[in-house]
Amino acid sequence: MLKYIEGPEVKLTVNDKIFIDAEFYGSDEKLYELEPHRLFPISGLNKYISLLDSEGNERAIIRNIDNLLPESKAALQSALDEYYMIPKITRFVKRYEKFNIWMWTVDTDKGRYTFELRNSLTAIKTLYDGRILIKDGSDNRYEITDLYKLDKRSIKMMLPDI
Amino acid sequence: MAEIKTFSNKPIPEKISEIAGKVLGDEKILFAVIGDLNLDGKYDDSAFIVTESSAVAVDTRHENGYRLYRFDEIEKVIVKRMYGNAIIRIRLKNSDESEKKKVEIALRFTYANADIADAAAIFINNVTDGMDLEEQLLIVKSTYDKQRSFCPKCGRKLASPDAECYNCKGKGKILSKLMKYLLPEKGKLIICIVLSVIVTFLSLVPPRVTQMMVDEILPKNDAKGLVIIILALLGVYIVQYFLGFIRSYYLRIAGDKIIIDLKKDIYAKAQYLPLSYYDKTSTGSVINRVNSDSVILQNFIMRISQEGITQGFLLIGIAVIMLVMNWKLTLLSLLPVPLVVLGGRLFGKKIGPMYRRLWIRSSHISTLLADTIPGVRVIKSFTNEDSIISKFKAYCDDWLKEDKRASMISSVFPNVMTFLITCGSVIIWYVGGRWIIDPENNSITIGMLVSFISYTSMFYGPVGFFANISDSYQSALASAEKIFDIIDAEPEHDFAKGTELERMDGKIEFRNVNFAFDRSKKVVDNVSFTLNPGDIVGIVGTTGSGKSTLINLLMRFYDDYEGEILVDDVNIKDIDMKYYRDQIGYVQQEPLMFKDTVFNNIAYGTPNAHVEQVIYAADVANAHGFISRLPDSYDTYLGERGIGLSGGEKQRLSIARAVMKNPSILIFDEATAAVDSETEELIQQAIERLIRGRTTLMIAHRLSTLRKANRILVVDKGRIIENGSHDELMALKGKYYKLIQIQSMSQKVREQKESENFE
Repeated sequence: MLKYIEGPEVKLTVNDKIFIDAEFYGSDEKLYELEPHRLFPISGLNKYISLLDSEGNERAIIRNIDNLLPESKAALQSALDEYYMIPKITRFVKRYEKFNIWMWTVDTDKGRYTFELRNSLTAIKTLYDGRILIKDGSDNRYEITDLYKLDKRSIKMMLPDI
Repeated sequence: MAEIKTFSNKPIPEKISEIAGKVLGDEKILFAVIGDLNLDGKYDDSAFIVTESSAVAVDTRHENGYRLYRFDEIEKVIVKRMYGNAIIRIRLKNSDESEKKKVEIALRFTYANADIADAAAIFINNVTDGMDLEEQLLIVKSTYDKQRSFCPKCGRKLASPDAECYNCKGKGKILSKLMKYLLPEKGKLIICIVLSVIVTFLSLVPPRVTQMMVDEILPKNDAKGLVIIILALLGVYIVQYFLGFIRSYYLRIAGDKIIIDLKKDIYAKAQYLPLSYYDKTSTGSVINRVNSDSVILQNFIMRISQEGITQGFLLIGIAVIMLVMNWKLTLLSLLPVPLVVLGGRLFGKKIGPMYRRLWIRSSHISTLLADTIPGVRVIKSFTNEDSIISKFKAYCDDWLKEDKRASMISSVFPNVMTFLITCGSVIIWYVGGRWIIDPENNSITIGMLVSFISYTSMFYGPVGFFANISDSYQSALASAEKIFDIIDAEPEHDFAKGTELERMDGKIEFRNVNFAFDRSKKVVDNVSFTLNPGDIVGIVGTTGSGKSTLINLLMRFYDDYEGEILVDDVNIKDIDMKYYRDQIGYVQQEPLMFKDTVFNNIAYGTPNAHVEQVIYAADVANAHGFISRLPDSYDTYLGERGIGLSGGEKQRLSIARAVMKNPSILIFDEATAAVDSETEELIQQAIERLIRGRTTLMIAHRLSTLRKANRILVVDKGRIIENGSHDELMALKGKYYKLIQIQSMSQKVREQKESENFE
């Protein structure tokens, strides 16, 4: 049976970076060491956050993070920020190909990084909202939020792949 | 400073090496995990360095830039995979039992380091549990070796540390790769080239004849000469078009052979690609490559191998004639050539990416077709026709939009080129005309001018061809890239390699096997077990627990796992793949039938099967009864994917297939999950007949189907959590006990409901 949390009925506190504790007002129920998971991590919705216990069982779903009390929202957001790492590419520094393997050096909001791409046809996906998702050879993810807001050189480098 | 010369995934940065040296003193470093994130999740150097008795995490976010953990204070090391990154968490022992255990994050890293971080965690946990350090170090070493087993040339992961790189073997440019397909047809192609050259030279005759008529025959009213020259011209035309017909015929058959060879190769290679390739590449895209891309490539091959050579000869021939006729006019006619060549290069740069984008869009369309046409029943049952049509329209419109852009460029370019070429002719008209009007030092006849202009127009034909070749080259390049993505992809290893065992008894051993489809989640986590020949083993667990993955690994559908799987004490990677799979009978939950007769579907893996063998197999599988009642019996032609048979019937045909193989190991993957109780009983009888004397692995949700199993493995989150006989596991009162309890209860409820309905 799915249990939804609307927002104000729960107090969330950070337990250990990626884990949170939940205390329900008006009842004795307290849940510890819950791992928040986005149910729509690619859609990027700030809604439907599943809370999993240490066994991986879902204990509740938060309908909308924006409906939480400010402290709870901050705690949940901080745990989610720790858990999800999808660096946003802000610039292409270098791209070269050798024997079908592409090496990309990019600037991201997390710093500069070089990764390899095995097959650009399967590793690059353009989403319905125009965002571009890239999965590198080690299964790390990157996002280009709006290609056309990047510099001209980066756009030119990316265009043939989308 | 501590000695750092053992395993490390990357050279240890100097700063980290200094800190490690300072903290660890003389302790011998065993291995190091060099991370790529700091604890705040920013890209930065970090490390987790392990010695015989401690580990040090180096990260600028730790106090003083490091955190030292002595093994005796560690309770457990856990690698926690998150999303796009992972952490090493260390649970520390507590002096006070009542206190909450302290957990610290030691290192953060991207998935690029996840495998070795796992190895480090297992090492520390096992060593702190008292296991042999040297033995554990060997396991770590194998993980590092695997990390390092990349081709030094191209960086692609190798099958084993000393394996030859498939990617680099015979690697060359696309054109040289295509030669493989041209060479078998070289005889026909050479004939075509010779004929082309003759035809080309014959095509140079008419302008010369025009000159003779204008300058010599017509001014002299030479009627006899006119007849001779017209007859000669007619003869030239007859020979030219006759040879043209022969050339077209040979060209067509050579071209068709090339494309068929290419298609055969792509299809054959597609069969040997590992499942992991299909996990990432849609079948629609593969079909697109076999059908469309090979045709584009064939057109290009023919253009370059035939027209390219012909046009080259034509270019040289005309240039020589023009130079002999009048070198000054020839130089003038060459004026637009640099512009044409530069324009060709510019065009290639512009249109190349566009063709690639067009290909991606065309692949979207094929993928949607491959998904939805076979699934038309589902679409109809959900009345989803409108939505799928809209999606298809959107994909087509997207393609059209991109095609419009490409069309604009590819239409403008040839016309601009033609205009430039025409400018060449206009220059000749003007200058030649002036020379006739005002001869001075440049005497030229009217016939020569007319003839020269004809040659100029002809000369720009090959120039235009070479200028425009970049269009078809770019289009072919986009297709060739996709085709060679398949042809060059690393196939499943060891076909026609490795050993064949004299006899396979069916002993199976998993040793510390770890596996993940991608690095975001481990699906099999440090699994070890041994099954003896003849064991009947039930594998149970909840959905997604990793049961089928264990089978996929045993079947060698995925080879990229850590640890070892042995059959009869031989690593399965050392056994010839064909021989190995021939020894395994595999019955799936949803057996795939091919569009063929019932007979051929049963004899699928056994060429030249005897009729009675097939009937016997069908009988053992409890399939003979229903087959013989079919009007066409064994000759019944099944539709696509076995349309015409029920799920239980298809399942029994699939068991008959397994009987035909007479395998040493049998695998049933939820074989009775999708059938009713009565059919289940029939299938169960068939299974019981088949498994006698063979090592059998049965994945089952309905635990009642495991009644013959002498051992049960309970899988949970990729680990074997219980292993023993039914009675032992019931006594344990663990997960298996719970599953049995739940199923017994639901069985009782079902039976009760059934009896109520019956009454």
